[in-house]
Amino acid sequence: MAVAPTRLQVLALYKQFIKNSKQFNNYNFREYFLRRSRESFRANVALQKPEEVARAFADAKEELGVLKRQAIISQMYTFDKLVVEPLDSQKHTPSPTGV
Amino acid sequence: MFRSVLRTNAPMALRRAAPIAVRVNAARFMMPTRNYSAANKLTNDAVQTRVLSVIQAFNKTNSVADVSAKTSFHQDLGLDSLDTVELLVAIEEEFEIEIPDKVADELKTVGETVEYIASNPEAL
Repeated sequence: MAVAPTRLQVLALYKQFIKNSKQFNNYNFREYFLRRSRESFRANVALQKPEEVARAFADAKEELGVLKRQAIISQMYTFDKLVVEPLDSQKHTPSPTGV
Repeated sequence: MFRSVLRTNAPMALRRAAPIAVRVNAARFMMPTRNYSAANKLTNDAVQTRVLSVIQAFNKTNSVADVSAKTSFHQDLGLDSLDTVELLVAIEEEFEIEIPDKVADELKTVGETVEYIASNPEAL
């Protein structure tokens, strides 16, 4: 019988999903996978039975494999940035001029 | 360079010995020197402003106006555990560090996060 994963394990898996989703080069795919990761974890928030949790965890693990692979493939086919994306890095360092 | 100088000026007898001497000299010049610069230490204040701007950019937070060091992710910002993970990933990216899962689970307030980052030597 499958053992239910601990809270830490689930959170670690979620972190992997978010991190790998952010690797996508293409804005639309990136946002889609971020959205999907959030939704799929939220959909299972209320699961109580250990078997169900274990099954959801195992499914998510398999999907993480797909996500990782696709994220790497997406980096091989780069696109120009869309107008909605900031061109500079996402750093929040305050600029020296204070502007 | 040295060899050509020697060849024009030195008598025949010297020319045989010269290459070794030149090599020794060159070796002394090429001794690697390393200049260690002091680590770029982040101050708590600098870390805090950056953490706050990350929180601000994290659009799920409901009230960003009065975020201070004592602000708790869960109670004050209304983030659940999944949101907190996401916020910490954003903070990790900002400082280019990796927060271990166990530590991340312990970080419950802005102040704790700021302290952890300031104490992390790899934070940029």
